[in-house]
Amino acid sequence: MERILTRNVGKEGSRTLAVYEAGGGYQALRKALSSMTPDAVTEEVKKSGLRGRGGAGFPTGLKWSFMPKEVDPKRPHYFLINADESEPGTFKDRLLMEEDPHLVLEGSLLGGYAIRASVVYIYIRGEFVRGAEILERAIAEAYAKGYAGRNILGSGWSCEVVVHRGAGAYICGEETALMSSLEGNRGYPRLKPPFPAASGVWGCPTTINNVETVANAPFILERGADWYLTVGKAPKNTGPKLYCLSGHVKRPGVYEAPMGLPLHELIYELGGGMLRDDRALKAVIPGGSSVPVLRADECEVDLDFDSLAAKGTMLGSAGLMVMDESVCMVAAMARIAHFYHHESCGQCTPCREGCGWLERVLARIEDGRGVPQDLDLLLSVSNNIIGNTICALGDAAAMPAISFVTKFRDEFQYHIDHKSCPTGTLAGRA
Amino acid sequence: MPKVTIDGQELEVPAGTTILQACQQRGREIPHYCYHDGLSIAGNCRMCLVEVEKQPKLVIGCYTPVAPGMIVHTESGKVKAARAAMMEFFLINHPLDCPICDQAGECRLQEYAVEHGDGRSRYTEPKLALSKAVDIGAHVMLDQERCIQCSRCIRFCDEVTKTGELAFFERGERSQIGIFPGKRLDNPYSGNVVDLCPVGALTLKEFRFATRVWYVKNTPTVCAGCARGCNVVVGVGQQQQLMTTRGQQDDRAKRIVPRVNADVNGWWICDEGRLSYLKEQQAVRLLSPRVGVGEAAYDDAVKSAAGKLQIAGRNGSLGAILSPRLVAEDVFAWKTALAAFGGALIGVRSILSGEDDELLVRRDKGANAKGALWILGEGATERRVLDAVASGKVKTVLVAGDTLDAADTAALEQASQGTVEVVFAGPFVSGAAANAAVAIPSASWSEADGTYVNFEGRAQRVRRCHLPLGEARPGWRIAADLLEAAGIAAPAWGASDDVLRDLGKAVREFQGITGESMGLLGVPAPTPAGA
Repeated sequence: MERILTRNVGKEGSRTLAVYEAGGGYQALRKALSSMTPDAVTEEVKKSGLRGRGGAGFPTGLKWSFMPKEVDPKRPHYFLINADESEPGTFKDRLLMEEDPHLVLEGSLLGGYAIRASVVYIYIRGEFVRGAEILERAIAEAYAKGYAGRNILGSGWSCEVVVHRGAGAYICGEETALMSSLEGNRGYPRLKPPFPAASGVWGCPTTINNVETVANAPFILERGADWYLTVGKAPKNTGPKLYCLSGHVKRPGVYEAPMGLPLHELIYELGGGMLRDDRALKAVIPGGSSVPVLRADECEVDLDFDSLAAKGTMLGSAGLMVMDESVCMVAAMARIAHFYHHESCGQCTPCREGCGWLERVLARIEDGRGVPQDLDLLLSVSNNIIGNTICALGDAAAMPAISFVTKFRDEFQYHIDHKSCPTGTLAGRA
Repeated sequence: MPKVTIDGQELEVPAGTTILQACQQRGREIPHYCYHDGLSIAGNCRMCLVEVEKQPKLVIGCYTPVAPGMIVHTESGKVKAARAAMMEFFLINHPLDCPICDQAGECRLQEYAVEHGDGRSRYTEPKLALSKAVDIGAHVMLDQERCIQCSRCIRFCDEVTKTGELAFFERGERSQIGIFPGKRLDNPYSGNVVDLCPVGALTLKEFRFATRVWYVKNTPTVCAGCARGCNVVVGVGQQQQLMTTRGQQDDRAKRIVPRVNADVNGWWICDEGRLSYLKEQQAVRLLSPRVGVGEAAYDDAVKSAAGKLQIAGRNGSLGAILSPRLVAEDVFAWKTALAAFGGALIGVRSILSGEDDELLVRRDKGANAKGALWILGEGATERRVLDAVASGKVKTVLVAGDTLDAADTAALEQASQGTVEVVFAGPFVSGAAANAAVAIPSASWSEADGTYVNFEGRAQRVRRCHLPLGEARPGWRIAADLLEAAGIAAPAWGASDDVLRDLGKAVREFQGITGESMGLLGVPAPTPAGA
């Protein structure tokens, strides 16, 4: 299978402009700027069926088309790249930024051109120091070659590219919290509407895309939407996809495959199978810690937006966490709950109060101090959070809790009844 | 105007109205904590979740504008369940220390817990322990455990005073309101955050542990602090036998809080006005009449005063200095009485201090300066009286009202070099009272009904909040009694309303103004004569 997004990964000097250009880099930008209007770029991306790789899977071209067609000089357009990659189990954007920064840059500029942006901000997770440095170097090279800055490639279009480092909060990966943070404010999600295209960063029209999403753009523009539709499962799950495989597999890592890769193929072929052959698969979290878990018997599924939705879960950020039978599901869920408790921004009531509650009850059950009504309590508290919050963090905390308790209820019940763990492990919480 | 259906009732409201406002307009409250008419919308408490047909999730009523054809349910099962859920969330880390909380009795958390809560909690984990009684400013104490993070106080300091002292610190359930290092909440409007706080997290130092709110009798009135005339509610303690050993002092004002009037003060008052009752309570009151240096019966004092004023009036040597804080009724009564005594040169004190600020505070501290000038005419200045005293033309001066500033008689003494005869009628023992030939106690601002006219010409009702101390009487009553003592036919005034009626007949600007017409919000200035 042809590697598309990761074609430069592992190549000598993959981060340099020279290597990127030698592989045909910046041809798409050249083509777009010399022969296409911004709307034509948007149209091509729309046609390709590209959907956002950040988690929600919103059609990218459609999102771009929400932007005003004229630029009000007092309200410049901003293109934001969400490089805050913080979803537990997810590490694909980091690979792209660290190994092929110019691909990210070219994609960002194409998106910026399509939405008539005057600045591209790459909001990068604070811990990605290396990634930020690599991007900075790539940006300097791009400026020197006229791919960014004033009058790009003589097209008359000017666009600055700025890397902005986050300060270490999961919530700042939420698009409106990211905007608040970028503005220098507390990273609080905002009420919607207005949506970013109407009023985003500094109250100006804004589009925000994930790193991997924009990395697809150069290929769509270079090879055409019709080619793109041949990769993956047209019409709604198209293109190449990066899968982040972790957990109990022999070869964890980032794998590229056409959208719709069967989960079994990822685990048993690309991932080399279960870490220990004597231990059976127990569960897989398919899209980062905030999506509902799949039991082993639900794992006959293709890894794309709609196939996973049909199974009641989500592709999310494609962070797949594989768990074998040694895993205590109560401990796993308690750890997930700990994360959301720690990362809830505290702005709105259900998430602020509910996330801590969930963690405490789960920790108690794991500790052997659970009581029979705790399981219904977990489901009730989760349901009281879901849908009632400002942003999706509350849902992200509640969805896994509901799926763990529902799908592994016997195991939770065992902890309560026997004050011990059926897996026999002593998986202490971090 | 969009037509919407709320709980089966169709109504038309202006475009842009939120669901919560639309409900408010028809007298129905959607429970809420963070929303406040005077602040930006935060949408964080989630208490106002309502159901809109064809929407997948509940929406917050405070933020969602009505749309044509929208069908809203504010009492559906889903909505009620969400409210109960929010109440449970609010209370899991709340200390439930209502028995020692000043907010108890007027606490939205208590009210909604009863109205919308489940009556029990399923939370069995330890509650978060945070700081209590944090001293954050001159007048405000913070209890971080009671806080429900609605952010009203932060938004007030950011948006109204624009001083930005407060912010959230930490995150998640550990997030708490706090003050920036090295800062104090000491802006001149800091007390408003206490009113804004829907729970007992922010309390006023001057009101903490002073009484329980259910012992407080609330009277809507108008602040006497400056010419703005902010609408306020004065709360008077009623727990004489129950809570205190200080006796009479406890039938006194315990606090002043703002009352909403969009045309005057919006939702706010300044700290000076809020605490003005303390200044009054700390001043020494004139409790019984005096003639010379000895106490006298009211009738004797009135007789003595009437004699002095009548002689001076006949001789043309009578002057009067009135406080700009006297209600219009008193000013009119004094004018009437002095005229009957043969006429007097009347002047109104002018109390100016500081500068007008951008919000409410006025430099002119005369709460009824405008009303007094309407009655007495533009030329009625204190200066003209003092000049007449200095030139020896005026030898007897009536000083009326509570000026409450030390300088009140300094000018008078200086002008007269001690030779002037003073007849005093006021609530406090001031320089004028001390030197007066006759001193008669009159009711203070919070002790009598009347009318104030603010700097914009709005006539507003001042109400008696508690009984006058000692033998104090309303000024208009004293004026009428003086006339009677002098054997002059006095107007038949039984109440301040009677005085106001006569005032309306005599002074154009007061025409048609009655207690009823002023109501709670007052009446705007009349159009100028001839306009």
